[in-house]
Amino acid sequence: MPKDDHYVIVGNGPAGNHAADTLRDEDPEANITIISDEKPLYYYKHRVPAYMVGGCEFEALRIRPYRIYREKSIRLRLGQRVERVVPQERCLYLKHMEKIHYTQLILAVGASGRRLPSHADFSEHLHCLAGFDDAKRVREAMMKSTRIVILGGDLVSMGLAREACKAGKEVVFILYSSLFWPVALKAEIQQNVTERLTALGVEVLVDTEPVTDVQPQEGGYRITLPDGSSLSADLVFSCFGFVPNIRFLLGSGINTEKGVLVDHMMRTNQEGIYACGDCAQIYNPEFKDYWLSVGWGNAETQGVLTAMNLLGGKSVIDYQPKEIFDMDGVTIRTSWWKSFT
Amino acid sequence: MKREIYKSQVKDAGTHGMLQIIKEVAFSDDPRDLGYMADNVPCQRACPASTNIPGYIRCITEGRYGRSYELNRIYNILPATLGRICSRPCEAACRHGEHDLGQSVNICHLKRAAADLKPGMHRIKEDLYAPSGKSVGVIGSGPAGIGAAHDLAVFGHNVTLYESMPEAGGMLRYGIPAFRLPRDILDLEIGNVLRLGVDLKVGVMVGHDVMMKDLLKKHDAVITTVGCMAPNSLGVDGESLDGVISGLDFMVRTNLGQPVPIGKRVIVVGDGFTAMDCARSSLRMGAQSVRINILSTEEFMPVDAHEIHEVKVEGARIYSLVTTHRIHGSQGRVEGIEFLRTRLEDTPDGRGRIAVPIENSAFVMEVDTVIAAIGQHPTVDFGQPLVMNGQRIGVQPDRFLTSVDRLYAAGDCVTGASNVISALASGRKVAQEVDERFVGRRRRTQMVRFEAAEQTDREREYDFIRPVAMPTLAVSDRFDVGENEVEKGYREVEAKRESLRCYLCSLKYEIDVSRCIYCSMCIDVAPRDCIKMISGVSENSDGTYGDYGETGNWNEVVAIAIDNKRCIRCGQCYDVCPMDCITITKTELVEVDREE
Ligand SMILES: Cc1cc2nc3c(=O)[nH]c(=O)nc-3n(C[C@H](O)[C@H](O)[C@H](O)COP(=O)(O)OP(=O)(O)OC[C@H]3O[C@@H](n4cnc5c(N)ncnc54)[C@H](O)[C@@H]3O)c2cc1C
Ligand SMILES: Cc1cc2nc3c(=O)[nH]c(=O)nc-3n(C[C@H](O)[C@H](O)[C@H](O)COP(=O)(O)OP(=O)(O)OC[C@H]3O[C@@H](n4cnc5c(N)ncnc54)[C@H](O)[C@@H]3O)c2cc1C
Ligand code: SF4
Ligand code: SF4
Ligand code: SF4
Repeated sequence: MPKDDHYVIVGNGPAGNHAADTLRDEDPEANITIISDEKPLYYYKHRVPAYMVGGCEFEALRIRPYRIYREKSIRLRLGQRVERVVPQERCLYLKHMEKIHYTQLILAVGASGRRLPSHADFSEHLHCLAGFDDAKRVREAMMKSTRIVILGGDLVSMGLAREACKAGKEVVFILYSSLFWPVALKAEIQQNVTERLTALGVEVLVDTEPVTDVQPQEGGYRITLPDGSSLSADLVFSCFGFVPNIRFLLGSGINTEKGVLVDHMMRTNQEGIYACGDCAQIYNPEFKDYWLSVGWGNAETQGVLTAMNLLGGKSVIDYQPKEIFDMDGVTIRTSWWKSFT
Repeated sequence: MKREIYKSQVKDAGTHGMLQIIKEVAFSDDPRDLGYMADNVPCQRACPASTNIPGYIRCITEGRYGRSYELNRIYNILPATLGRICSRPCEAACRHGEHDLGQSVNICHLKRAAADLKPGMHRIKEDLYAPSGKSVGVIGSGPAGIGAAHDLAVFGHNVTLYESMPEAGGMLRYGIPAFRLPRDILDLEIGNVLRLGVDLKVGVMVGHDVMMKDLLKKHDAVITTVGCMAPNSLGVDGESLDGVISGLDFMVRTNLGQPVPIGKRVIVVGDGFTAMDCARSSLRMGAQSVRINILSTEEFMPVDAHEIHEVKVEGARIYSLVTTHRIHGSQGRVEGIEFLRTRLEDTPDGRGRIAVPIENSAFVMEVDTVIAAIGQHPTVDFGQPLVMNGQRIGVQPDRFLTSVDRLYAAGDCVTGASNVISALASGRKVAQEVDERFVGRRRRTQMVRFEAAEQTDREREYDFIRPVAMPTLAVSDRFDVGENEVEKGYREVEAKRESLRCYLCSLKYEIDVSRCIYCSMCIDVAPRDCIKMISGVSENSDGTYGDYGETGNWNEVVAIAIDNKRCIRCGQCYDVCPMDCITITKTELVEVDREE
């Protein structure tokens, strides 16, 4: 007899999928549903820049076919946004007001592009790149473009610069070293980053942050620098890392700060609700600070651990950085960023 | 229960022309109707001064800015001021901000728009009562004192305002910085109150320059609205080091034009209005890094999201989940703050949060200036013993009378640090109490005014207009002249567009059951579950209506009814009903003279 348990996972990234697979492995009977506002099936994010510049089609991003979900009997509800969670009633509402009950809930909602407050006046002219939807929106314009400007940066922007160069675009990178994400760049690493980018054919501008204005002009945009000079581009990207997608949780009673606050077992303050992956924020006793989870590898690990704990496990998150990340020749010590080579 | 209906006299006279324009108007003080208003116009209910929000927003749509401003003034006296700095409890309650309906109407920005766009030298209306010959002393000219003085003057009493500072306004002038509230605006609106014959005596500290017992002899009643002027201390080691200053002192001195030395790295401790203003003022005074350190998280900060956004745009950073442990320094000067990280725990009711320090989480941040803005409490030093309520002045609930006869108290000195509109509203209420003491009865009362409306006044597409952002000064232009007002105000087009977003919750949609054929076409077009098949309505103990008993079973349906708490006044049902059985009534909460 099927059980009445309904495990709902919000988010179709690595954290959500690893959680779902683990739940299925451990509990063959349960109802499992993944809800996500993005339409495409589970895909590799590190290939998104290549897709955006026209270097590949979506098929090259896909991790596994729909068949797998059918076989595992994991229900997928894609293209559906969760608007609100009501912990007292153990239910959530989708954008079209449908109400869904859960017995246990995993929030694996990832993050969106971080926008700088100092760019607020012109942020509508800047593009972020946090996933497939962002990429799809600008793909056509990107393929037509000849020259792009990247304000940044973060680990993702370097991949973007690389792919854009590969596709024959002129790329100008305005480097905000003090705002680099996830950690501000020290002089030595900044040098290293600049060299790497230059070697790729990117024109790197340092010490010109923050740009004071970006406005549309005939066929593109004009970017004004603090010294009053300006440059033009077909598209302008703003790449400053990510902020967790927690807006829809405000007021729900689930504690958030920058991300969803969880304890070392990935539990939120609300009974039966867990969070993992890019949206989770954990107190790290090593650093004596709260840390946001960052990166693919970490999302996978946390997804598995969360699922185990949901089923009664007592595993505790490992705070130690696992990887020294090598991004296009630049070594950056971050915890958990996975290198796909 | 009294349910009086005053009908227009000319209705059945068979007249034409002019007289036909006069509509039917009804007034009621039935608790069911008052209860209806409270439930159905949530913004007005949330406003401590009960401002008629849909009324003034509608005037803006019609381009009647002067009328809109006056409509505001009836309730809140200082619309141009509040339109800039109000803490906006109404917006938190606005129906448009309900979960599936988008975002609240920018009620406060619209209030300011009415003030900005009204014609110069428009007519100010005050309904003055005959002079009473009574005299009232009001101590403190903050919003509570101004509110009390205004209403007492209107009631015909002689008012003397005693103020220890060089000018009137209280925290409006000495707390809130000029870049949020230009002083010419404040002067003008306070001037409108003083014009009613209020005698302002500045530079008079009661308890020092003049004694309370003398005031009680001199006046028939005395009201203290002395606010909260004593900063709370952090209570940690190192607080007396040079470079540590309280937020209130910092703002008062800045607003008095006195120089306050601050360093390059500033840390503000605290999460309220004062903390935000200290951070933004520090940036204007040349601080290079400003951090605001708060105990819990942004979600629980008592200031609104616009304010948080602006403070970040200007370059301050908010650092959550920390508590001050001790302040380090050498040779008498501050050098750093030692913080502990905190974690959130639920309060027993599950709604609030307490920040609990985490063990072994101490860390130090280097700093040149520490501004401690963690609240303030009243200074009550009048040479007159008073029964206190903790650090605040004790009063009889809702009567504002202190333990001393003829001595009343209102505003922040009674409630603890609150906000301008609450203080102002309590000043107005204490004026009613004092007036009742003199006259022997309440002279004003609230009633609901009903007027038939022939049309919905709204288009469905208005429901999808996105909130109009407040235009602000470019960040680069904010620092050269620190007093430059940051928010620029809506222009006419923007004001109109934003005003169209308001649902006009004061419109009451009703189905005339006697004509309804239960075709349920209205239910089909409704945008949400606003129209219900009901089997009955419960009544609350106070006589107001309770919830609808809903049913899905046609046998039990006694009526199809509109749930005005769910209705967004879109007009779809009105347009579609084949029987024309849906009526719209304009409701309004009005204050009227009570008959003698
Ligand atoms: C361009 C790019 C390149 C990257 N390259 C690397 C790399 O090389 N190495 C590496 O380690 N990491 C990389 N990352 C980071 C990595 O992809 C993320 O850390 C990882 O995807 C996080 O996984 P997640 O499951 O927590 O969240 P996500 O993968 O972000 O998935 C969250 C999902 O939840 C959905 N969602 C959000 N809110 C709602 C809602 N309210 N209702 C319904 N659904 C919702 C989102 O749309 C999204 O589909 C890259 C990221 C990007 C954008
Ligand atoms: C920096 C700062 C920013 C703020 N920003 C906002 C905001 O944006 N929005 C908002 O809604 N609220 C804000 N507040 C809160 C708001 O200003 C107060 O809640 C409100 O002013 C309280 O009004 P009140 O009339 O009770 O007291 P106050 O405004 O404090 O007025 C008290 C008056 O009494 C006078 N007084 C005191 N003792 C004596 C005496 N013995 N003799 C004679 N006179 C005396 C004082 O000089 C003062 O003028 C802010 C407060 C501060 C400090
Ligand atoms: S929609 Fe208008 S009337 Fe209704 S609560 Fe909001 S501001 Fe008030
Ligand atoms: S559309 Fe009119 S007649 Fe039909 S059910 Fe609604 S109120 Fe009754
Ligand atoms: S006007 Fe009618 S259809 Fe529109 S929300 Fe109100 S009851 Fe529903």
